[in-house]
Amino acid sequence: MLPADCSRRLVAELQGALDACAQRQLQLEQSLRVCRRLLQAWEPPGTWTWEPPPEPETNEEDPLPACTPSPQDLKELEFLTQALEKAVRVRRGITKAGERNKAPSLKSRSIVTSPGTTASTPPQSPGQAGGHASDTRPTKGLRQTTVPAKGRPERQLPSVRDRTRAGIGARAPRPGAGLRNQHMAPSAAPQAPEAFTLKEKGHLLRLPAAFRKAASQNSSLWVQLSSMQTSDSMDAAAAKTQFLQNIQTASGGSQPRLSAAEVEAEARRLRKACSLLRLRVREELSAAPMDWMQEYRCLLTLEGLQAMVGQCLQRLQELRAAVAERPPLPCPVGRPPRASPSCGGRAEPTWSPQLLVYSSTQELQTLAALKLRVAVLDQQIHLEKVLMAELLPLVSAAQPEGPSWLTLCRAAHSLLCEGGARVLTILRDESVD
Amino acid sequence: MRRRRVDPAAGARAGALPEAIAALSRSLPSGPRPEIFRRAKFDRPEATSALWQLLFRVLSPLPAGNALASIALEVQARLVKSALCSQGYPRLALAQLPEDGSQGSRELLLALSWLLARGPVPEQMLAQTRVPLGDEMTVCQCEALASLVPPAPHMEAEGPVDVRHVQWLMGKLRFRWRQLVSSQQEQCALLSKIHLYTRGCHSDQNLGHLSVTEAEMLRDPEGGQKLLRTLERESRRLEAVLAWRRAEPVFWQWMDTVLGTCAPEAPAAASQPTFLPWVPECGDGELELVVRELQTLEEELREAVERRRVAWEAKARGCGRGPEWSAARRASRETVEKELGALQRCWEQESGPAPAHGPHRLVRREDGAAGDRDLRAAELIRTLRSQEACLEAVLRQLQGQCRQELARLAGALPGLIWILPPGR
Repeated sequence: MLPADCSRRLVAELQGALDACAQRQLQLEQSLRVCRRLLQAWEPPGTWTWEPPPEPETNEEDPLPACTPSPQDLKELEFLTQALEKAVRVRRGITKAGERNKAPSLKSRSIVTSPGTTASTPPQSPGQAGGHASDTRPTKGLRQTTVPAKGRPERQLPSVRDRTRAGIGARAPRPGAGLRNQHMAPSAAPQAPEAFTLKEKGHLLRLPAAFRKAASQNSSLWVQLSSMQTSDSMDAAAAKTQFLQNIQTASGGSQPRLSAAEVEAEARRLRKACSLLRLRVREELSAAPMDWMQEYRCLLTLEGLQAMVGQCLQRLQELRAAVAERPPLPCPVGRPPRASPSCGGRAEPTWSPQLLVYSSTQELQTLAALKLRVAVLDQQIHLEKVLMAELLPLVSAAQPEGPSWLTLCRAAHSLLCEGGARVLTILRDESVD
Repeated sequence: MRRRRVDPAAGARAGALPEAIAALSRSLPSGPRPEIFRRAKFDRPEATSALWQLLFRVLSPLPAGNALASIALEVQARLVKSALCSQGYPRLALAQLPEDGSQGSRELLLALSWLLARGPVPEQMLAQTRVPLGDEMTVCQCEALASLVPPAPHMEAEGPVDVRHVQWLMGKLRFRWRQLVSSQQEQCALLSKIHLYTRGCHSDQNLGHLSVTEAEMLRDPEGGQKLLRTLERESRRLEAVLAWRRAEPVFWQWMDTVLGTCAPEAPAAASQPTFLPWVPECGDGELELVVRELQTLEEELREAVERRRVAWEAKARGCGRGPEWSAARRASRETVEKELGALQRCWEQESGPAPAHGPHRLVRREDGAAGDRDLRAAELIRTLRSQEACLEAVLRQLQGQCRQELARLAGALPGLIWILPPGR
């Protein structure tokens, strides 16, 4: 058994690493859910089924019975149908020629319900699409038109209420159309609309205009902010420095105390120094000098590195002493993210995101895998150092006689030398006895 | 409430200060009404609690949520004091303020201004809650696998544990790493597909295809409405921040007058009030680790240098002492100094020519063409590969060190055969 404080520290470190991984896994799974849902067939909104169930959201009208329209409804349908047919005739005459060539655009949900049609649905000509569609599938076309005909062509994202009203309106003509063209009814009857998949029709999507406007305004504001950041007005900067000085002189805390943040920053810098120095030392020690000049340079480098190591140690000792005699102010809020030594340092954050261009799935996967690998290696190295600090003293201090020592050795070897991946075997050599 | 503003310096337009304060309050999340600021100058008690809450929002690293809102004012006040103290806030009066929000609004105003002077607070807060419209990937490794939320305290393992429990935890961690790798590969594949299928859709030619957020908005218009509203709110905040930046100088003049109304503080007594830290664990162990590493390195170097110096001196005695000899030696010295100086700058400089922090928007292009300010995946991959190699070398070296050490310790005991696991 490991001593209590050692156990606590080790378990805390490992648990911290486990938690960080769990968090990242959660984020990934959320993202995966969204992506998978996007790649499947998109569900039509609400309950766009052909069998008209009673719509629970509406309380304006009684739920329409299945296929028995009331006479009033039929009359309304007649009027509506006539109006639409007239509109179709007018529109068809005007724009028949250019229609086929227009790129299909997805402006509202209606395309989900009639994906088979390639009719464009510009808001200004609701009847046009209806006219087109009426050649092929009158019911679907009519449904499509009722949405823009609602009189809100700019409304790119209709609310639920609109949809259901449109739904009611759409369902009404259906039996009417069925009455009109009896032979169409069977084909129009419960035929689930072709599902919309990104794969087949993704390139038909268009972002709604309101969103485009908002997004471009947003990004230009961020750009303005970035440019303002870099060219901070002189008087503002001067005023700020002056204010900070004034507050310092007017305050009682005369000696600036080392804040935990500063201690952390200095420790980080020295940690980076340590790893860089160590690497360099390795290089120099393993290099085989060819001639006396190289040998001399090697020697000088090593001596220089020795001096630098000494300086770093001294700074660290000073830091430790300062921390010990006046305990650093409590840690800043939350745990500051442990900046990995691989990170280049605090560059100025640019407020507007730049682009990262990739050219294939393979490349993206490689990139992400490497990022993860570097992060995992960081974690591993940190854990390795912690384990070394905790376990090696135990192994050297423990008595070799007890059986628990062998367990400890085995575990220490596995954790420290194999990263926990493999375990060695210890055999008792009976021939000695 | 119209208060006659005292203008200490010339050049401040009448009305510029109210604008500045109004812009400031609009640019901060749940910013207090502009009146609060004015009342705080006169140390009115009714402005106190709003300022405590604002400071709490600013200083808290956690994203705003219901959890934050439900924290009591006293707790918020205490945490604010602790946070300010840890950042090195010099004024002692703040530490002595009562935590019930009954007084001290002027001190709180000073604290807020201190934070505003030290860093771009409104921008940072905006960046925290920014609406990411694209699929983003961070380039720097700062928070790759760091836990952003303080971990819940674990009640178990308060006592001594068996080392096999540690081994088990390590195995669990390795499994989680593998899981992450496979999940991430899948996510990249799906993301790439979505980008591929929606190419040609985006109004911005530069981007070319939709992101997951944008596609999701089309699939789910209600969510899209929400996104749109959030986007518009963010744009309003951005405008407020820009207005604040333009009107700033006036604000600082005014703050100087506020500071002037406070009596200067007496120098501190020996003991400072201590605060409960927000998170109990302090990064003190880190220092120890570094010290130990450096000490080991120092030892190693001392041995090597001594050995080599002796060998060199012996060799040098054999060679001549001509002028070219000393010139060559001087040249070598200079080269080495330059190299080592460059090495030192690597860690001394806080910001090197590193790629920008912060997230980048992923864009798929068949030809991989990128503008000046854009990053290419291929380059990033190269950088990461070299980082990976570097880190692997470090890890291998550490493991080698442990192997030697353990062999030494275990070798002391005869009668045992150590069968190492098969090599990689």
